[in-house]
Amino acid sequence: MARLPTIPLTVAGVAKHELDSQAGPASPPVTESTAFDAASLAQGASYRGAYVHVPFCRHKCHYCDFYSFVDTENRAQSYVERLEVELKTSLEFIAGPLETVFVGGGTPTMLGADLLRRMLSSIRAVLPIGSDAEWSVEANPETVDEAVADALAQSGVRRVSLGAQSFNPRLLKALERDHDPASVARAVGLLRRAGVPQVNLDLIFAIPGSTIGDWESDLCRALEIAPDHLSAYGLVYEPNTPLAVKLRKGAVTRLPEDDEAEQYEFVVETLAKCGYERYEISNWSLPGNHCRHNVLYWENADWWGFGPSAASHGNGVRWRNIPRLATWLERGPFAPVEEIESLGMDGSAGECFMLGLRMMAGIPLERVSQLLRSGKRARSRVQSIANFTADGLLIEQDGHLRLTDRGLTIADIVLSALI
Amino acid sequence: MNIRNFSIIAHIDHGKSTLADRLLQETNALSKREARAQFLDSMDLERERGITIKASAVTVHHTCDGQDFELNFIDTPGHVDFTYEVSRALTACEGAVLVVDATQGVQAQTVANAYLAAAGGLELIPVINKIDLPAADPDGVAMEIEQVFGLRAEDCVLVSAKSGEGILPLLDLICRKLPPPRPAKTDKLRALIFDAKYDDYRGVVVYIRVFDGSLKTGDRIRMMGTGRNFAVSELTRYTPHPTRVKEIGWAQVGSISANIKSLADVRVGDTVTLDIAPADEALAGYEEPKQMVFCDFYPSNADADVGSGRKADFEALREAIEKLNINDASFTFEVQHSEALGFGYRCGFLGLLHMDIVQERLEREGGVEVVQTAPTVKYMIDLNDGTSVEIHNPAELPDPSQIKAIREPIAKLEIMCPTENIGDLIKLCDSRRGTFKAQRYLSDHRQILDYELPMAEIIYDFYDKLKSITRGYGTMDYQVTEYRADNLTKINIMVNGEPVEALSLMCHRSSAEARSRLILTKLRAQIDRHQFEIALQASVGGKIIARESIKAMRKNVTAKCYGGDISRKRKLLEKQKEGKKRMKQIGSVTIPQEAFLAVLDQGD
Repeated sequence: MARLPTIPLTVAGVAKHELDSQAGPASPPVTESTAFDAASLAQGASYRGAYVHVPFCRHKCHYCDFYSFVDTENRAQSYVERLEVELKTSLEFIAGPLETVFVGGGTPTMLGADLLRRMLSSIRAVLPIGSDAEWSVEANPETVDEAVADALAQSGVRRVSLGAQSFNPRLLKALERDHDPASVARAVGLLRRAGVPQVNLDLIFAIPGSTIGDWESDLCRALEIAPDHLSAYGLVYEPNTPLAVKLRKGAVTRLPEDDEAEQYEFVVETLAKCGYERYEISNWSLPGNHCRHNVLYWENADWWGFGPSAASHGNGVRWRNIPRLATWLERGPFAPVEEIESLGMDGSAGECFMLGLRMMAGIPLERVSQLLRSGKRARSRVQSIANFTADGLLIEQDGHLRLTDRGLTIADIVLSALI
Repeated sequence: MNIRNFSIIAHIDHGKSTLADRLLQETNALSKREARAQFLDSMDLERERGITIKASAVTVHHTCDGQDFELNFIDTPGHVDFTYEVSRALTACEGAVLVVDATQGVQAQTVANAYLAAAGGLELIPVINKIDLPAADPDGVAMEIEQVFGLRAEDCVLVSAKSGEGILPLLDLICRKLPPPRPAKTDKLRALIFDAKYDDYRGVVVYIRVFDGSLKTGDRIRMMGTGRNFAVSELTRYTPHPTRVKEIGWAQVGSISANIKSLADVRVGDTVTLDIAPADEALAGYEEPKQMVFCDFYPSNADADVGSGRKADFEALREAIEKLNINDASFTFEVQHSEALGFGYRCGFLGLLHMDIVQERLEREGGVEVVQTAPTVKYMIDLNDGTSVEIHNPAELPDPSQIKAIREPIAKLEIMCPTENIGDLIKLCDSRRGTFKAQRYLSDHRQILDYELPMAEIIYDFYDKLKSITRGYGTMDYQVTEYRADNLTKINIMVNGEPVEALSLMCHRSSAEARSRLILTKLRAQIDRHQFEIALQASVGGKIIARESIKAMRKNVTAKCYGGDISRKRKLLEKQKEGKKRMKQIGSVTIPQEAFLAVLDQGD
């Protein structure tokens, strides 16, 4: 394969491939960088996980800022074919063995049982995946039928994450979420019967108009289903989502901080009583059911992202594939990339704090001292850690540095000081 | 030669500049094309605000009764803040044209300046302008003029500067009625500096009226007040176009360029004489400018670049202030460091309008964005050891145990208003610790209200209140007459027990609680919740007189952070961090700059 010229890196560390003036008038201008350029910058990376982004959805919810859309042109088949090319070409950089595979979206189950089987078997066939790797797939409860459940289980998927969000039709409406609350339990039943051992439910609290009572009954409904894993997020008004626009226009009102805090405290208490372990700010699981793929993000490990809009991280370099299916389908074999960021030691250390402290376990102290050994910001980080420890927001315990319970509720104060 | 030196006294918008232009046009000094509205106001700002900030001197010729007259028109600043400058400009004249708007009647500032002119022995010609307007009431206004100034109503000249009606008779009257300049008292040069401007090309341009002797290009001059020496490089008269001349003689008016670099080297009111043959005695009446109102200017960091921005902003402000001071030496400035707002300047001004103008000019001409704190006055602190100190910043207040008395400036206030508003205005003045002096009849519809009011109360939102009570029809004028002791005190503001000097203020004891509560309420709205509860307190002499609290933050956490979110979430946190850097740290509380401004803002 022909090597591209060295990537011009701008000051901000964002590379944009410039017009190749040497190429002559006949050759088409190279206007975009590709995952190849990014991965070349990230030399020395050791990828531990793979993320595959499936951009299709049956409905676009108003709070969602992921790249996803309702496919009106039947491009699922082309998507899978294009993905297979990307998988193969990326092998050049991925030594393996990969510890996790996470298929997210969008709604991967929108592909239907057959394409889902094909995609999963291609991933398994092409990528160097470890034998005890965690396989996760995200699903919308309405799209899980027996065929899909079987396809997932038979393809070796060990973990399915269902977007439940709420069981309250009024609150689902507030999110412009289009599913029947009863479909969640039905989907879980199908997945269990098909033999998927781990099921996660995503829940959202602090939805406009919600009360602590609403949240309590949502949690009860979720617990009745007995998931192995629960993610509960305070609603985020992501910029450029219809929900954020409504907020700005005053069509929805953000729940007051105290009410949101109350709902968060409620879920922390309730799930602890029910035997769920909080292992990250918004994530709980029964013992031994952590999502290994997500933990890999918080450990700031290297992973490779496939598909439009998928992000990757290798050796302090972050890049994101272009979030446009048509462009991604056209270009190849490497994914076109919209942004490459080279963080440097200091920047990477900051991300290690920002991510690592999200976990209850925190960061091992030897890792902390390694992160604080050098870099321009090291001194101020040392000072901040001392201050926050004195204020009771951080604590050193069991050989780890971690946020205290109080620190967890206002983590951004600590994290913004440490990045 | 027949010379008449005169100026025009008028309230803002009563048509002084239009009238001046019309006079120039009528004497053929200015073509119609040139008479773009208001030739004499050269600054954009002046034109926009309809006020004249700096005087100019224009020379035109007029033939009356078969004789040629040289008319020197000396422009005066139109606002109360420039009383001293006005008085100097008036000293350079033998007469004044008193312009009153036929639709508005006599206004407070007109009265103040007319009194100044009368006190200087000037002959006054009352003129009623805008008689072309449908709402004009020349007879009623003439009665007001008679009532207030004792000038006979039938002597008023009716003009329309807009249409030109009455202009020629006015010119004739200026020649006939105004007295000629007094004869020279010595052959040694004595010229009064009545104005000075800074010109980017010529340096300082000094406007003078020669009383005795004469001045030639190349002469070495001496400023008798400051003792400074300069060689005259250029003499200019304005006809109205600047025209170089070799000499400015007895009773004439013009300007000197002498390679003077800064307006600080020139004092309005000073006497110019020749260095080789100095006059024995300077002309009377020279005074240092008196700053009555003080405030701080800080660079606004609103959209400055993160990091190095701060110092560069201060440098830009310093340059702008120094440059403006070359232009306007009547404001003072000294470097000030505020724990809240960083480095800036404490500036002193002749009055409130002067302060506004300086701020606008800094922004417009200096290209800096400034943050302005609320104005304060100067207090005299009498100490137990018999000495006194002046302070214009509450932070400078000596230890209370050493203080015998705090004296504050008291102003004589004159308000002209519609009769129907008298009651509300009396209430306003009384609520501001005012002392009623007199209520005078002006006409059936309008009255004059005389009060004594502490200056601190006048600068605290008084003018706005006056305007709203009178729906814009009230005008006022004030002059500080004395310093008087009262039960004055300093309010200290504490954030989590830490005193914040930048928020402290001087206040009368009787209003301390109310002011404190207002400040704390505003402060509470401006400070974000922190990881701990924040106590806000106001105290006087160690005693807490008001308190508020800001509850601890309960939730501030990024709920979701997975692979695709990391870059964006990191940038968000970085933004928060940078935002915090620009805030002020008081103990462990971060206070946004806007909080200080909101608190210092005097609106209720």
